Amino acid sequence: MFSSRIRRAFLASAFSIASLTFAGAYAADTQALRIGAPLPLTGALAPEGTKLRQGYDLWLDLVKEQGGIKVGDKTLPVEMRYYDYQSSTPKAVQLAEKLITDDKVDFLFSPFGSGAAKAASTVAEKNGVPMLASSASSAEVFDQGYKNLFGLYTDNSTLSEPIADLVTGKIPEVKRVAILARNDLYPLSLAHEFEKSATKRNLDVVYFERYAIGTLDHAAALTQLAATRPDWIVITGYINDLILVRKQLADLRVDSRVLTMINGPAYDEWISAAGKLSENVTTASWFHPILSYQSDDVFGSTARFVELFHKKYGSYPDFTQASGAAVGVILQQAIERAASTDRDAVRAELKKGGFKTFFAPVSFGSNGMADSYVPPVYQIQDGKVQVVYPADIATSDFRSGIGH
Amino acid sequence: MLYLQVLLNGLALGGLYACIAAGFSLVWGVLNVINIMHGSLIVLGAYLAFFAHQVFGINPFLFAPVAGLVLFAIAYPLQKLVINPVMGRPVLITLTLTFGLNLFLDNLMLKFFQADFRKITFDPPLGVFNLGGLLVPVDRVMATATGLALVGALWLLLRNTQLGRAIIAVRMDSQAAALMGIDVTRTYALAFALGAFMAGAAGALLSGIFPISPVTSSVYLGKAFVICVLGGLGSIPGVLVGGFALGIIESFGTLVLGPELALTLAFLLLIALLMFRPSGLLGRRGFQ
Repeated sequence: MFSSRIRRAFLASAFSIASLTFAGAYAADTQALRIGAPLPLTGALAPEGTKLRQGYDLWLDLVKEQGGIKVGDKTLPVEMRYYDYQSSTPKAVQLAEKLITDDKVDFLFSPFGSGAAKAASTVAEKNGVPMLASSASSAEVFDQGYKNLFGLYTDNSTLSEPIADLVTGKIPEVKRVAILARNDLYPLSLAHEFEKSATKRNLDVVYFERYAIGTLDHAAALTQLAATRPDWIVITGYINDLILVRKQLADLRVDSRVLTMINGPAYDEWISAAGKLSENVTTASWFHPILSYQSDDVFGSTARFVELFHKKYGSYPDFTQASGAAVGVILQQAIERAASTDRDAVRAELKKGGFKTFFAPVSFGSNGMADSYVPPVYQIQDGKVQVVYPADIATSDFRSGIGH
Repeated sequence: MLYLQVLLNGLALGGLYACIAAGFSLVWGVLNVINIMHGSLIVLGAYLAFFAHQVFGINPFLFAPVAGLVLFAIAYPLQKLVINPVMGRPVLITLTLTFGLNLFLDNLMLKFFQADFRKITFDPPLGVFNLGGLLVPVDRVMATATGLALVGALWLLLRNTQLGRAIIAVRMDSQAAALMGIDVTRTYALAFALGAFMAGAAGALLSGIFPISPVTSSVYLGKAFVICVLGGLGSIPGVLVGGFALGIIESFGTLVLGPELALTLAFLLLIALLMFRPSGLLGRRGFQ
C-alpha cells in the first residue's frame, strides 16, 4: 500500500517534471525563428553550395551578435536548418518538403540555380511558405504566378542590355556580333539575351554556336568564328571555359573591338589565370566587391560586408557568396518591418520591397523577380576590375580593343 | 586555308590526346584493369607542375618527367598493397576499387587545392608559330613534342628492355610468363606505375595549356577511354592513331556540324568501329 502510494507520487512528479520540461522546450522552440536551406554541399554543385552557405553563415554570425532578429518588442534568435541535396534537384524538392513539414521552418532559402529553385518553389507555394531565391536568374522560374517566390537576381536581359547600350553608344562602328555559348541552362539563356539585344540594335549576328559542357578545345570553333570577322565577340560559360577560350582567342590571333565574357572575368581567379589576356574584357555581374552601396542592413555597406567576409574566410566574396548573405538581410528586414513572424505579414513586406542592402537596392516585380537595380558592367583594366556602367557608379571609362 | 588551319588544330590536339591515353591503355591492356583513377592522376601531375612553376619557376614541359616519377613512386606501392589483392578477379571488382580510389584522390585534391580553376601563365607568353598564315601555339607544339617523345620512350622500353618484354609476356599469358620465371606480381605493379608515370607527365604537359581543377578529371578519363577503344588496347601505335584520329574528327566535326555536335560525331564513329572492328584500329584480337 505504502509502496504503491510512493510509486504513484513518483510517477506524478516525474510526469509533472517531464511536462514542464517539454513545455519549456516547446516554448523555447517556438521562440526561435527557423529558416530552412537545402544546399548542394556534395556532388557537381558542391563549390557553389559551399559558397552559398558561407554567405548565410556570415549573415547569421552578425544576427547572433545582435542577439537575433527584432520582432516588435522581442528579439528572436535565428536557427538555420541546412540539408545537403547532393546536387540532385528531386532530392532538393524532397528536402524542401521535409523542412516545411518535419522541421517546421518559418521561411525558406531556395536551392542553388534556376532549375532547382523552380522545382522547390512548387513545394513552398503549396505550403504558403515565402522562399527567397538566392541564385535564379532565368525569367522562366518566375512565370508560374506564385506568391511565395522572391528572386534576388534581375532577369538575364539586364546583363545583356547595358553592355549592348555601352558598346553601341561608345563604338558606333560595331556592326557584326559573334556569340559562342556553353550549352547549359544559364549560359545559353544569357547568349540568347545577347542575341536579342544585338538584333534590337540592328547589329548583325554573324555567328551563333553552342559548345558542349566539358569541351577541352575550342580551336576549331574559334577558327570558324574568326572567319566571320566580328566587331564584338560574346562568350558565355563558366570560369574554366572562359580561361581556355581567352587563351585560344589569343593563340589564333582573333581580334575584335569588344570582347565580352560572362561569367567569371570580374573575379581574381579568372584574372590571375588569364594574366595579361584579361585586359579590356568586359563582363557583367549582379555583385562585385568594388561596389559601394550604403545599406540599412546588418552590414551597413558593401565595403563592410567585404571586410567581414575577408576576415572570416580569408578571400573576397563573389556574387554567389554575396547572394547568400543578401537573402538573409532581405528576410531580416522584411520580418523587422512586419514586426511579426507571421508568413502573410512578412510576404506583404517582401512584396512592398524597397530594401537597401549591401548587395543592391532590392524590390521585387509582380512576378517576384528583382527589378530594382541594373547589374553593373565591368571591364578589366591594368589588371584591375573597373565599373564602366552605369555612369553614376562608374570608376573608369570604357576602353575598346583586345590584346594578345 | 580554313581547312588547313582546322587540320593543324586537330593535329595539335591529337598529340595531347595520345599522351593522355598512353598510360590508361597500358594498364588496361596489361593488367585488364580499367583504371578509373587515371583522370585524377593526370590532374595530380598537373598540380605538381603548377606548384613547381609557381614556387620554383620550372617550365612544366621540362618538369613532365619529374611529375611522372613522383606518380610512379606513389603508384607502385598502391598497386602492390591495394590493387594487387584483387588482380584476376572480375573486371567489375577492379573497376569499383579504382572508382573508390578515384573518389578518394579527387576529394583529397579538393580539400588541399580547392575547386578553383588555376592556370600556368607564361611571362613572357610563349607565342605562336606563323606558318604562312597558319597559326600553331608554341605551348601546344612543345607539349605535343614532349608527349610524343615520352610515348616513344615507352614504346622503346616495351620493345627493347627486359622489363618491357616481361610486361608484354604477362599481357599475352600471365601463367606462361610465371612459368618462364617472370615475377608476375612485380610486373603488374611496374606496369601500373608506368601508367601512372605517363598520367603524371601528361598532366604536367596539360597544365601549361588547360585550366586545372580536381573537377576536370572525368573529362580526361572520358577522352582516354575513347582513344583506347578507337586505337586498340595495349597498343602504343594504336594510342597514337586513336589520339590523332579523335583530334582531327573533333576539329572537322566542329567545322561541319558545329562545336555542340563534334563530340557526337566522334562517338558515332566509335560505335561504328565497335560494330565492325571491336579490337580497335590497331588492336590485337583478344584485348578488346
